[in-house]
Amino acid sequence: MFSILIVEDDLKLAQLLQSYVEKYGFRAEAVKEFDRVMEVFQGIRPDLVLLDVNLPRYDGYYWCRQIRTVSTCPILFISARDGKMEQVMALENGADDYIAKPFDYEVVMAKIKSQLRRAYGSYALSKRERTVECTGLVLYPERLELTLSGKTVDLSHKESLLIETLMENSSKVVSRDYLLDKLWNNQQLVDDNTLNVNITRIRKKLSELGVEEALETVRGAGYKLRPFWREEP
Amino acid sequence: MRLFWREQTPLIFMYAGQLLLTVYMCRLSGFRNTFDLAYICIVNTALFSFYLIYRYIRHYRFYRRLTRPLLSIDESAEFIGNAPLADALGHLLQGKYRLYQNDIQQYRKKLNDHITFINQWVHQMKTPLSVMHLAVQNETDPFFDSIREEIDKLRKGLDTVLYTSRLDAFEQDFVAEPVHLHQLVGKVVAEHRNLFIRNKVFPEIQVDERLMVMSDDKWLAFALGQLITNAVRYSAGASSRVLISSEVDGQQVALEIRDNGAGIPKQDIKRVFDAYFTGENGRQFGESTGMGLYLVREIASRLDHHVEIESEQGQGTAVRIWMGIRPYERKNA
Repeated sequence: MFSILIVEDDLKLAQLLQSYVEKYGFRAEAVKEFDRVMEVFQGIRPDLVLLDVNLPRYDGYYWCRQIRTVSTCPILFISARDGKMEQVMALENGADDYIAKPFDYEVVMAKIKSQLRRAYGSYALSKRERTVECTGLVLYPERLELTLSGKTVDLSHKESLLIETLMENSSKVVSRDYLLDKLWNNQQLVDDNTLNVNITRIRKKLSELGVEEALETVRGAGYKLRPFWREEP
Repeated sequence: MRLFWREQTPLIFMYAGQLLLTVYMCRLSGFRNTFDLAYICIVNTALFSFYLIYRYIRHYRFYRRLTRPLLSIDESAEFIGNAPLADALGHLLQGKYRLYQNDIQQYRKKLNDHITFINQWVHQMKTPLSVMHLAVQNETDPFFDSIREEIDKLRKGLDTVLYTSRLDAFEQDFVAEPVHLHQLVGKVVAEHRNLFIRNKVFPEIQVDERLMVMSDDKWLAFALGQLITNAVRYSAGASSRVLISSEVDGQQVALEIRDNGAGIPKQDIKRVFDAYFTGENGRQFGESTGMGLYLVREIASRLDHHVEIESEQGQGTAVRIWMGIRPYERKNA
């Protein structure tokens, strides 16, 4: 399991990052005493460091140089400043990449993964396949497959994203805007029609698995996935 | 020269009067030698002329200073001669210059402090904003859509503040380099995806993927963001498309952002680029600071681009940014 060290003096932000990173199966540790960053680093020997620029006592650049004297692990900077100079400074001081605040979880995760892939080889990450499970319905996002009691259907990338979001929030209303936003992360343009089409396709695929009317439309709000297929024989 | 003559006219009259009086009195007292009298007059007049010439030369700078307008505050401290009068004026002007310089320095320092403070403050605000942003990111309830909307607005507001205060220090923060136009448009559109989604307006991008323009990606992205925000806001409810397209004309390319929204009233269109001008649409749609288009034009003029706007009320608006195409020597590289 990869371990990640978070050096961020805003405790809430550090906490949010930590719990998110942990959700993806990494071990995360947040530094709490900012004059002892190196000792914590030596103690944990993390595989990757998330480093804020503005820190009490010494700034992130300083700690980056310190870490570089003992380790070549990937270092990602997080900073509110998005100027060219700050990015240059970060990279010159030994960082591998730079993320400007406010950022999206997806961006942080993608950058972490790509750095880990580079540093430790591409197979190291995919040893354990990610799955999303909801009352017997299992989604394999990396294979784009959806399984229920032995039956399997193939999904498109967009369908996979949608059903993943719905499964993670089953029994709760997921707003249309939220789903559109999820789809759009993919850099492709999506509009209302695209969403409608994909929802229809998901319904069809669910019915191929023998699940009818589980994906409910909530008028004026969004969609809701109701996991009542277990009750059926 | 004219000022000099005007200044010396009374003296010249005085001198002429004295000369005439002397000649008259000499005549009265019985001095009859015309030749001698003429000689005296000529010698006197010659001396007087020498005096005038000497005076003119010594006060040349002084008179020039008095007649020419000041082009800058620095000029008032220039040397204007060492004749007593010139010297006194010089001292006065230099004293005044110093006082003004002090004042200006003080204000400049205050302004710089203020800009530094604003910049720091904006960056400080970005951390709480990140926390809020992350905290609601995985919330799917429709209620959080509106929280996300407000966070987006805050973020945009902070960016506008930052870019406005940076505008003055533009030269230090600007790199002209080849920018891949299609990629940039894609990035900016993706950044504003929540704005599109919320307003149910969707972009249509028709930008040539091979186009490279000479610009600064950060500033251009910001300007484009302002234009997209306008286009989406003013077409919400009226139309569902915003068209972003490119058009090449010789060595120039126009990036056009066209909406089919409310359009700009005729009486407003001349002033939309003015700072703080909100106009009819600002009143109608709210949340207008009047800074968007102003910033766009300021940024464009500094990047050596040209902006034009075309609009008809009820029909929509098109804004075009003309930019130089990157020289083609490495077209296939």
